[in-house]
Amino acid sequence: MSPEPRPGGRDEAAPATVPVPALVVMHGDLAQALLRAVEKVYGSTEGLEALSNEGLSRDALQAGIQQRIDAWPGAGIVCVDFWGSSCHAAAACVARTRDIVVITGCHLGMLLDFMHNRETHGRDALAERMRTKGLESIRLVQGGAS
Amino acid sequence: MSWVLHRVDDRLIHGQVVVTWSHHLHPARVWVVDDACAHNEWESDLLRACAPDLEVRVVDVAEAARIYAEEASAPGRALLLVRTLQSALALVEAGAPIPRFNVGGLHYAAGKDKVNDYVYLDADDRRAARALLERGIALEVQDVPAARPEPLTALDPGVTPDRS
Repeated sequence: MSPEPRPGGRDEAAPATVPVPALVVMHGDLAQALLRAVEKVYGSTEGLEALSNEGLSRDALQAGIQQRIDAWPGAGIVCVDFWGSSCHAAAACVARTRDIVVITGCHLGMLLDFMHNRETHGRDALAERMRTKGLESIRLVQGGAS
Repeated sequence: MSWVLHRVDDRLIHGQVVVTWSHHLHPARVWVVDDACAHNEWESDLLRACAPDLEVRVVDVAEAARIYAEEASAPGRALLLVRTLQSALALVEAGAPIPRFNVGGLHYAAGKDKVNDYVYLDADDRRAARALLERGIALEVQDVPAARPEPLTALDPGVTPDRS
């Protein structure tokens, strides 16, 4: 699997026949807040859903994720906030039996990249692209007077 | 003594444990005591993967009771996690001399009543809680270190043992 799509933006090896869906599963109101931010920046959240882990056991969260992705028309992506969280563990359990890719450490920049590319990339290429873009966007800006 | 926290949490290893309690208590090891996970290699691997900076051991109740005293004198600190109050009681009944449990998360399920935002109990949970309390084991409700621990009996008088 190539980490970047081929020139022209379409992953010819796994073209998206339908736009890739994604579910954002995070603590508290973070997933909803990220979707609001996506709406502000991109203008739409079509294809993105939010789910909070608040008040849910891991089993209940797993059931909630499963219910959402079972309504998808095809393979999709589950974005969670951080590795080691209940969101990660529940999504990883669902991934055993469902055709999803789980991305941990997801942030706004990655979701914007998802929105821009969900219609032109296959699921796997899109997930790999989001990971790469997400890592690239984490940088240190050193302050202080020279 | 290595044991620094015994916690009842239906999420087992998750953010509050990996990030918050671990930074507060600096454990070297986390013991997940859960019969289902201990007998499921995939679940055990997932639990270990969720806490890459800690040594995670996944054992069943019988094994946990067997190693409890040995771990108590081992170097480094250790956390113990069980999924339910019933597992906590089973561990105590199997011989682990645990003085108190932190009740950190028993989330909503059908048939359970709300105690607070992260603790819901049904009749079977209350029976297990009562049995633990009757053995002199303290049950303190507290999700994260910054929260004030409260006795479960104060939040849910229904678990108070019958002293008559």
